[in-house]
Parts: sequence; structure tokens; C-alpha cells
Amino acid sequence: MSTPLEEVNVQPIDAAETKWKDDYTKQIGENDRVIKNMSGIEVEPLYVPDNIMDTELYLEKSGYPGQFPYTRGIYSTMHRGRTWTQRQLVGLGTPSDYNKRVKTMLDMGANAISLLPCNSGFRGVDCDTVPLPLLGTCGTVVNTVDHMETCLDQVPIDQISAAMNDPAPFTLFAFMLNVAKRRGIGWDKLTGTSNQSDYISHFVANHMFYRLSLSGSQRLLIDHIEFCREHVPNWNPMSVVGQHMQQTGATLAETIGFTFSSAIQHAEDCIARGMDPDEILPRFTFFFDVTINFFEEVAKFRAARRMWAHIARDRLGAKDPKSWRLKFHAQTSGVDLTAQQPLNNIARTAVQAMAGIFGGLQSMHTDAYDEPFTTPTEKTAKIAVATQNILREEAHLCDVIDPLGGSYYVERMTDQMEEEALSVIEKIDAAGGMFKAVETGLVQTMCGESSMANQELIESGEKKIIGVNCYEDEEEKIEIATTRPDPVAMQKHVDEFKAFKKDRSQKAVNKALDNLTRAANSDNENVFARVVEATDAGVTQGEIIACLREELGFGHPLIIA
Amino acid sequence: MSNVSVQVSNLVTRLRAGEVGALARAISLVDSHHDAGSAIHRIVHPYSGQTEVIGITGPPGTGKSTLVNALVSELRSKNKRVAVVAVDPSSPITGGSVLGDRTRMGDHTSDSGVFIRSLAAHGHLGGLSSSILKVIDLIDAAGWDVVVLETVGAGQSETEIAEIADISVVVNAPGLGDDVQAIKAGILEIADVLVVNKADSPQAKRTERQLKAMLELRKEESSHVPIVNTVATTGEGVDELLEAIVEKGNSKFNSSKKERLLSRVRRIVAQEAAEQARRVVLRDQDESTLSLLEGVISGECEYEETITHVMSRYYAQQDK
Amino acid sequence: MSQITPNVAETPVRALITKIGFDGHDRGSRIVAAYLRDAGMEVIYTPPWQEIDSVVQLALQEDVDLIGISSLATDHLIVPDLMNALREAGLGEIEVFIGGIIPEQERPMLIEAGLGGIFGPGSTREDIVECAQRLATSARRKKEQAFERRL
Repeated sequence: MSTPLEEVNVQPIDAAETKWKDDYTKQIGENDRVIKNMSGIEVEPLYVPDNIMDTELYLEKSGYPGQFPYTRGIYSTMHRGRTWTQRQLVGLGTPSDYNKRVKTMLDMGANAISLLPCNSGFRGVDCDTVPLPLLGTCGTVVNTVDHMETCLDQVPIDQISAAMNDPAPFTLFAFMLNVAKRRGIGWDKLTGTSNQSDYISHFVANHMFYRLSLSGSQRLLIDHIEFCREHVPNWNPMSVVGQHMQQTGATLAETIGFTFSSAIQHAEDCIARGMDPDEILPRFTFFFDVTINFFEEVAKFRAARRMWAHIARDRLGAKDPKSWRLKFHAQTSGVDLTAQQPLNNIARTAVQAMAGIFGGLQSMHTDAYDEPFTTPTEKTAKIAVATQNILREEAHLCDVIDPLGGSYYVERMTDQMEEEALSVIEKIDAAGGMFKAVETGLVQTMCGESSMANQELIESGEKKIIGVNCYEDEEEKIEIATTRPDPVAMQKHVDEFKAFKKDRSQKAVNKALDNLTRAANSDNENVFARVVEATDAGVTQGEIIACLREELGFGHPLIIA
Repeated sequence: MSNVSVQVSNLVTRLRAGEVGALARAISLVDSHHDAGSAIHRIVHPYSGQTEVIGITGPPGTGKSTLVNALVSELRSKNKRVAVVAVDPSSPITGGSVLGDRTRMGDHTSDSGVFIRSLAAHGHLGGLSSSILKVIDLIDAAGWDVVVLETVGAGQSETEIAEIADISVVVNAPGLGDDVQAIKAGILEIADVLVVNKADSPQAKRTERQLKAMLELRKEESSHVPIVNTVATTGEGVDELLEAIVEKGNSKFNSSKKERLLSRVRRIVAQEAAEQARRVVLRDQDESTLSLLEGVISGECEYEETITHVMSRYYAQQDK
Repeated sequence: MSQITPNVAETPVRALITKIGFDGHDRGSRIVAAYLRDAGMEVIYTPPWQEIDSVVQLALQEDVDLIGISSLATDHLIVPDLMNALREAGLGEIEVFIGGIIPEQERPMLIEAGLGGIFGPGSTREDIVECAQRLATSARRKKEQAFERRL
């Protein structure tokens, strides 16, 4: 029991706090309950000034925007100076379909492009080997430089940033380099990201692609980074993906831990190849999920910035402040969206996007409300872009830098998320680093456990989802609309592809494939450089991946039951 | 003849004729300790004893399944028809299990010369060895040349299952935390051949040295255990592994099939006898036993006399 | 019930949980695998991207009673091909169900192909397990009939 107040020497603030606690306890009575966030951290009813009034500590933990440790933002002006890049993921149908859609999006206010290939492309096979109904339903069918040329027709790739969602061996990017070459655009003019180039995340989340073995992917990634450093200096070859981890079930705090453990692995692999941390880290970008857990997401991003600054400086030895800055793209999470009462997803996405904006993101994709069923239609994609426009233009979210900084709650949560994430990194370090932890399945097991725990919360009704386990609309019949590519156009695309393969110089193709094979088997040749040459010689994506699979091993998923 | 026997004999005929579906069904019946399983096994038993059983075990993360995949390719290149039996642990509570291991056998799914079957370890049912042995007999009688028996994880059932195999291969790999400590002494004891997989990793040499040092501590100096380096993902060293297995098999059994079978049966009988005794002792609620058990706690009795007592009760029960 | 095809109370149900086509999102299939395991079934789980022919071989060798397919992209469009392949391999008794994003317009085609259950978003554990058990019982009955026919 508490000591009577008059017996001890208490500060007025302590007395006030004690009084509040008493009042709170009395008034809430039976209704009080323990609330935990997604990372399992208990959320208190009120946060009060703690150590944040201490200026020394403030500088150490938060500092000013654009200053180490960047908790409040990586640039001094943040969104007040320049708002985030609106980068909507687009992928559908044939290259012509993509080109038409991407131009519409640019007209709508998007200021960057992103290309998502067809799942068959993710898998690494060409369209002529795939059942027609599966082509172009979730991404664009791009197998050659010619296809990419159509995708990017009249898109000013020397002026806007492009994201190529394509892991090792990065054939889409190789296609794009050749398109630039054909158009006479210098490679130093190209900006953007080899999005999702982080092979580790794919192995964990098992999402899209098992193209190459873990070690083969590792080799290709480092070759790719080395190639870009030399030939495409303004391109970001490294995109470390936290999104997959979170989507597959990791908690928010685990996600930061896993993401940074991956980043450490990639950075150390580059350093082992003889690269200087300050040459490569400024070109590291991060890709996160942003869910509807509003405050926790904000705290996640703030904690992540601070952690990365320390990791880059203290652990990886980077001296250039550019290396310390956590630049990230966030995608609103499709996991939160429901097939039931789908228009509600517009509200969910808005909240997610706000969390991302307050979290200080550099680039964002907002999901369309029909995400749970289908590739967005033009109409729904427009709403997703408009959501960003409303938040940017109408809601005054960009007026203040890190507007939630200083909130007792958010500051405390930032610290706690950091602690949790650090303990995850420790665990991964103890397992011998991220590569090993993924190879042995430790990370997959952790994600699986968190995923099941979350599922149980939903089943028990403890975690409420509107329209799913509460406020259900009994009358509602879930109508799932479909957008399927035009089969006639797709068949034509496949036929043209077959004709292309027949007409190209087989001699040049064979020579390029021989070179690729040789590079894969040598220790000091850059395999990605040979990929770029091969695509120029007319070798298709499927052929390149098949060749590298033969030489570097196929990626088999690790099944953790 | 009852309807039942007609069904059983029909299934056996089809199994013997090489019908994969019939073998698959028979395995389910045997593995679930179903009566029909026993009947089927009794009929096919005389036709078994041809196949050789290679056991592959080792801690998780050593690339065991990938190695099995590569070993199967090697055996296929020698025109052997290969069956793979992968044993996964099952939940002691529901009895359910997720059998995920066969999925790394992707290379062989369309090859009619390869049969892959996953089994749950049914921890709670006991009798794992006899169940698996019977499954092997079925595969044997169906005409498969080699059975590769793969067990997952470290601990409990490996040593038991390894007893079934004619040749036990224990797989290790560099960089699994505390180096070879990942290999439990018990597993090392049963190894006929040791593999250092992922041998292209820089620390592989160190793992090999550590294994050698551990082998030297083994009591029987006579048994030479070869250590083979492999890179399962590329197939490197897998031919040598198969050579080592064959060689070891020849020396272990002096090429005598009967000796091999005798050895297998003896190990299984020992296993099952121990398991039976265990079950009897655990259920023994007799006053005399209870007082001896309490005596062990209080220090009045020694373990030895208690063991002698329960065993004599066990024998007495068997006599009845 | 015959000796060769015991009922589901006598021997564990064997279920194959898999994905065909090119999508790799496997969170749903993992959860369903865990549901069935917790219900006492022996679940053969595969990663995504299985070929139809491999699924047929797997079902044959593993003597499964039912197959659960997860489809989040458009992989359900080739499920009828799988059903045909199973029938051609003499495995028509195996029951198949599907979960994921299955548009209304494309459901009749799946039902016509012989699917035993379609689970959309928000399906509960109870619904899925109940359906799997019902399908397993039906599969055992069909297996028995098939066996009798061949005697």
C-alpha cells in the first residue's frame, strides 16, 4: 500500500500523479483492463513526463530533424520542405496496358513509377510456358527489353524515379538499362530503386519468388550493388524489405529487428567484397509495411530511424551522415483490409497512410480498397491516389515536423519498440546472423508463431475487425469483382513473344548465355554485368533465370510447420 | 473366405505388381496400427528383405533434405529405384502433424523411379520402430531397391530410427551455433558415415576437425567412420557419399544379406522389447513395486534391486 | 466399413495443403494446415508453386483423403485442370476444397469441376475443420466404393 503523502518529501508533480492514479483507479473500477499493442507491449492509459525533460537525454535520444540519431526525421525540413513521393505500385496485363495505366497515374499526381511483374515473371518463367488464364492477372508480363520499352513508352525515366520490383537476377532493371541505352539516356540520369532486392525477406515470407538458392541470390545481390556503384550511381540497388516479414506475421517490433539484421547482413557482405560502407549505405533504402496500429506504427518508424543511425555509424563503421539516414518507402498493409464491407478499406488506408506520414516516410503506396480481391481497377486506384492527395493538401499533416514527437506516449513507445527490436537483433546475432537464421528457419519459426498468435486474437474476438468479427452485415453478400486481362490481347502478346524468339539471333543468345554461365562459375566476374549484356542480346528473363538456376542452384523454400 | 481377406489379398496383389496407390494405402494401414495393416504385413513379409535401408539423420539446418534429394539423384543415376521415407514429429496432444519435409524433393516428383512418403512420428503411440520397419517391408515387397529413411530434428527418435537403417549417415554442417555440439553424442554413436554438408563454407574444415576429434573419443577403435564432405545444393561430393555408404555396408555385413537382416531384426527386437518393458513398468501399480519405488526415494532401496524386481514381475506377466 | 478403407475415426485423415500456379502468399495455407493438424489430421504441407502433375503424384504416394488449395491471386482458374488430372490418375475419390480470394462469377465453374468447399475471407476455423472432416468422410466412402468396384 502507498505511504501517506505527508510522510515523505514529494515533489508537486509526484503528488499530482498519485492523485490522478487514485482518481483513475476509482473511476474506471471494474472496467480497467490490460491493453497490449501488436508487439505485445502493454499500453498504459496515460503517459507523463519522464526523462524527456532532460535536454542532454533529449539530444541523445531524439535530437533535431536532420541530426543524429534522426529520431525526428532524416532531413531538417521533412514534409514541410518536400512531401513524400507518391509511388503507386502498378502491374497488370500486357506492357501496353501498363503503359496506359502508368500515364494515367502520373497525370493524377503520382510522381514516381513502380513496376510489378506478373507472378509468372516473379517465378522466373516466360509467358510462353504459362497457362493463359494466369498471365497478367497480378502484374505485367515483361520478359524482354522490347516489352520494357513498351511499358516505359513516353515515360520520362530520366526525370522521375522508378522502382523495379524484381529480385535477383534483376532482369527488369537490366531491361530498363537497355531501354535507357536505346533512348540515349545516360545511366547516371536514372534514379529509383531495385525494389525488394533483399532476397532474405523473400526466403522468410516465402512470398513470391524462389528463383535462386540463398547463396546464389546473395552473390547476385552483391554483384548488382557493385555494378550500380560503378555504372548507375544515382540508383538505389539495395532495398531492404521489412514489409514481407510483417505481412507474413512478424510483429512490428520483430519486423524492425529482422529488417536491420538483414541490412547488417547485406552491408557486411558488401564490406567483405571490399566496398566502403560510405559508398554503399547512402544507397540503401528500406521498404516497410504500415498497418492500422496507428501509434505503434509511428513509434516503429521513429525507433527504426534511431536504431539505423546507430547501427550504420557504430556497428558498420560509416562516417558519412548520408549513410546514417534511414530512407524508407511504406506501403499501406493489405493484411488489414477486409473483403467484407470493402468500402471501409478506404478509411483504413487513410489511417494507415497517416501513420506512415507521421512516421516520416519518404515514399508511399496506398492500397486500393479492392486489394483483398483483385488487382486495382482504374477507378479504385484513383481513390488510393486521392487519399494521399487529401492527406497532403487538405489535412495539414505536413505543417509540423514529427508532430507526434514529444507525446509522452509516442516517446515512451518509441523507446520500448527499440528495446524489443534490439532484443530480436541480439537473437539473430546469437544465431550467427540473418543469413544463417533464415537458413536454419529460426526467423520463419518466429514469424509463424506471431502469425498464429495474431490469428487466435482475431478468432477469440479480442482483436476486433469491423465486418469480420463484429458489426457484421448479415445481409451483405461479398461481391468480388474481377478484372481479368483481355485474353485476346494476352494471346497476341504471347504469340509476338514466340515470334520474337524465333527471329532473334540465336548465335548472339548462345554467346550471351555462355558468358553468363562462365561468370556464374567464376569467383571474380560480375554476374549482373553479364545479365545486362544478355538482355541486350535478346535473351529473355526466363532463359536468364533458368541458366542461373542451373549454375547457382534453385531456391527451395524452407518449410517450418 | 471372408470379405476382408479378399480385400487384403487384392491389395497385396496390386502392391506386389508395383501399383503405387496400393502401396500408399497399405502404408497408411500399417502406419496407423490398423488390423488390416497387420494382415497385409503378414502376407508380404516373406517377400521382403531385399531392399537396403540408408538412414539419414542430423540436426536441423544441416541441409539434410537437400542432401537426400541429391543422394536420390545419385542412386537414380545408378538405375536404382528409390523410396524415401521421411519421418516428422507429431503433436503429442492431438496426434496431428504437419509433414513438410518431402517438399524439398521437388526434383523427383515426376520420376516414376522415386517414391516418397512422409510419416508422422506418433510419439504417443509408441512402437515407432516396428511401424516404420513394417512400412519398409511393404516398400521392399513392392520391389523398390533402396529405402532412404530421413528423420527430422535432433533428439528423441533419431537414435531409435537409426537402429532400423542398415547404414546410418549422420549429417552435420558448419556454423550451427556451438559447432558440433549440435550433434548429440548419442547420434554420433550410431553413425556409420559422417557427412559435413555445406563443405564450401569457410568453417567446414573446422567442423571436420571437430568431428574427427569426437570420433577419436569413441570407444570401439575398430570401427572406422568415414567423413565425407558434400555440397548438397550442387551435388558435390554426393557420389563419394554413396561410395562410402556402399563400402561401409560391405564391410559391416561382409556382403552377407542374411547377416544384414539378422542385425536389423536383432536391433528391432531389442528396441521393441525395451519399449514393451517400459510400458509395463510405467503401468505397474502393484504394492510391492510402489514400496520399492518409495524406497528409492527414501534411500532404503537401490535402483538395481528395484529394476530386478520390476523385471521379474514383467517376466511373470509374460509367463501367464 | 471395410477393412481396407477404415473410417476417419479409425485412422488419421491425411490432408494435402498446397498451392498451384504462381502466387506465393502462403500465410493462409499455413494457418489452414495448422487448423487441420490441431484437429488431429496428418497434413502434408507443400510450399507454393506446385505443378499440377506433382500434386497428383504427391496425393497418390501420400494416400491423402483431401486436398486443400489456397489461391490468392488467380490460381483457382487452373483448379479444374487439377481436378481432371486427379480423375485421369484414378484419384477421383480425393475431395478438394479451396480457400482464398475466389470471385463470385468464377465459383460456378469450380463447383462444376467438383470442388467440395470454397472458403472466402473471414471463414472461421470451425467452418474449415468441419468441412474438411465431412469431405474426408466422403472421400473414405468413395475410396471404399472404388476399391469394391475393382475387386
